[in-house]
Amino acid sequence: MPGRPRDTLSVWQVVELARHPDRPYALDYIRRMAPDFVELHGDRVSHDDPALVAGLGTWRDMTVVFFGQQKGRNLAERVSRNWAMMHPEGYRKAMRLARQAAKFGFPIVSLVDTPGAFPGAGAEERGIALAIGQAIMGWFEIPVPVVAAVIGEGGSGGALGMAVADRVLMLENSIYSVASPEAAASIVWRDNARKVEAAAQLQITSRDLLAMGVVEEVVPEPEGGAHLDHEAAARALEAVLWRHLEQLLPIPTAELLQHRYERFRYIDSLLQAAPDFGPKVEPRGAAGNPAER
Amino acid sequence: MEGSPAEAPGPTPAVPSQRQPGAGVAVSPEGGPGGWGPGRPPRPAVAASGGRLPPIALTTNCPSCGVGLVPETLRDQCYVCDCGHHFRMHGDAWIALLADAGSWHERWADIRPHDLLEWKVPKAYQETIDQARAEGLNEAVRVGTATLAGHPIWLAVFDFRFVGGSLSIVAGERLTRSLEQAAAARTPYVLLAASGGARMQEGILALMQMAKINAAVGRLHQAATPYFSILTDPTYGGVPASLALLADVNIAEPGAAIGFTGPRVIRQSTYADLPSGFQSAEFQLRCGQVDMVVARTELRARLAHLIELYLRPLRGRR
Repeated sequence: MPGRPRDTLSVWQVVELARHPDRPYALDYIRRMAPDFVELHGDRVSHDDPALVAGLGTWRDMTVVFFGQQKGRNLAERVSRNWAMMHPEGYRKAMRLARQAAKFGFPIVSLVDTPGAFPGAGAEERGIALAIGQAIMGWFEIPVPVVAAVIGEGGSGGALGMAVADRVLMLENSIYSVASPEAAASIVWRDNARKVEAAAQLQITSRDLLAMGVVEEVVPEPEGGAHLDHEAAARALEAVLWRHLEQLLPIPTAELLQHRYERFRYIDSLLQAAPDFGPKVEPRGAAGNPAER
Repeated sequence: MEGSPAEAPGPTPAVPSQRQPGAGVAVSPEGGPGGWGPGRPPRPAVAASGGRLPPIALTTNCPSCGVGLVPETLRDQCYVCDCGHHFRMHGDAWIALLADAGSWHERWADIRPHDLLEWKVPKAYQETIDQARAEGLNEAVRVGTATLAGHPIWLAVFDFRFVGGSLSIVAGERLTRSLEQAAAARTPYVLLAASGGARMQEGILALMQMAKINAAVGRLHQAATPYFSILTDPTYGGVPASLALLADVNIAEPGAAIGFTGPRVIRQSTYADLPSGFQSAEFQLRCGQVDMVVARTELRARLAHLIELYLRPLRGRR
């Protein structure tokens, strides 16, 4: 399709589109998908994290639990949402409501849009690393279908903590990266001004991730980018989310969880295919595990 | 190198156990007469290290107390200065310390890193890999089976020398395979963490290792397999945010820096004044993230004791 952004944009232009201040945010999608959306708050330990919107609503005649990392549209909202950078309480809230969804059998939709988990002293004191680790581990035990979509920025572990799902989608002009281009430049060059070069090397666009087998599908955006037509972007995302969720609904729980395990277990199958990577499954007791003797 | 331990403040120990009360080469905790109930024989003493440690690169003076270091002396006290400063150890030293002499059986050492992203600047990833290999290093994580004070274990050791101990596809694969096998055989799993985080040069697939590993950690827990994690200096980013804090017992080394975001980035992004000792092992103990801070000279005895406690058959149940 000539003239489409994916044919003409540089990697850095995609980064700028993914961060565009007019880009639709999680609530712009959730409220269109489920106009009766009810937001729920709090981790039931100490805080509510406004960087993560969570709640339930009716979508396609089902009750669905929605999560969304929510950026702010204006400065005041950005401050109150902490630029969608979650604290430990956000991941604990997510796990609380994911378990609640499991109790009632509600499917889960998670919209990912964060520069990363919050890099602050308070987050460290309250255990941000553990909270992310527990969330990543916890998602593998949630016995209902989970579909995630990166709608803007998928920044590092802070994004992964909300993106362990049966299917992971990406909007066309979104990015998903091991670290933000600035952080990667700071780590590799010790200079975060090299962010453009870092972004190009990191392979963070939706096409890169589709090619690597990290996401199942890329959702095309309206001509020029999602920020130009929220309504059309939401319609496109809704249709693809439903197509994937519909396939997951009939799968028996044990099979669903085993597939989720294997989705991530062999996500690096590009490398697994290398001859020196060895067999995927070793014959049991082939070599000296003392416990097997 | 002229500075001798005799110039160190405090008594000069012949064995480390005299230096730190309760710490030492041989520890035999309670058990036997004195406690309540029928006396049990004292548990056999556990040596501070399974074998003689290999040499490690040292500065000439201790960065904490300034004393001149004598490499041979330091090597005999597990690279812990008389002042209590714990020097960073590489993977080989950790294997020699934790595993009984001759028991280490490395697995999947032949899996190699690949330059999937064709990373070129500022330094080609292939060149980074080749250099590390030329120095005899085999990736940031090595795994294998061993015994610790006679107990069979799976042992996974990060090596900070290989691209900062960064979590890579090979590291993730070795960790996942070993976690799966430990769960299948219910063999206690011992992790030695030292890492700067995920490896940038492997991009998103390095990040995905966190999910792959944690899925396997979940299965280890479901199999009720005891899991012990030792967090050493430094452990940051994707490693504590994946498997390193998810153990049944999290053990930190004294003074180790442990956290998600490093202090430099926190200062840059929040302009916060960070208190001294921020993200230290002791800080993480206060914040409830680790169960204990254990001196390296005591570590092996503590692990042996924990393995006994966790593996003891349940009476009247199951």
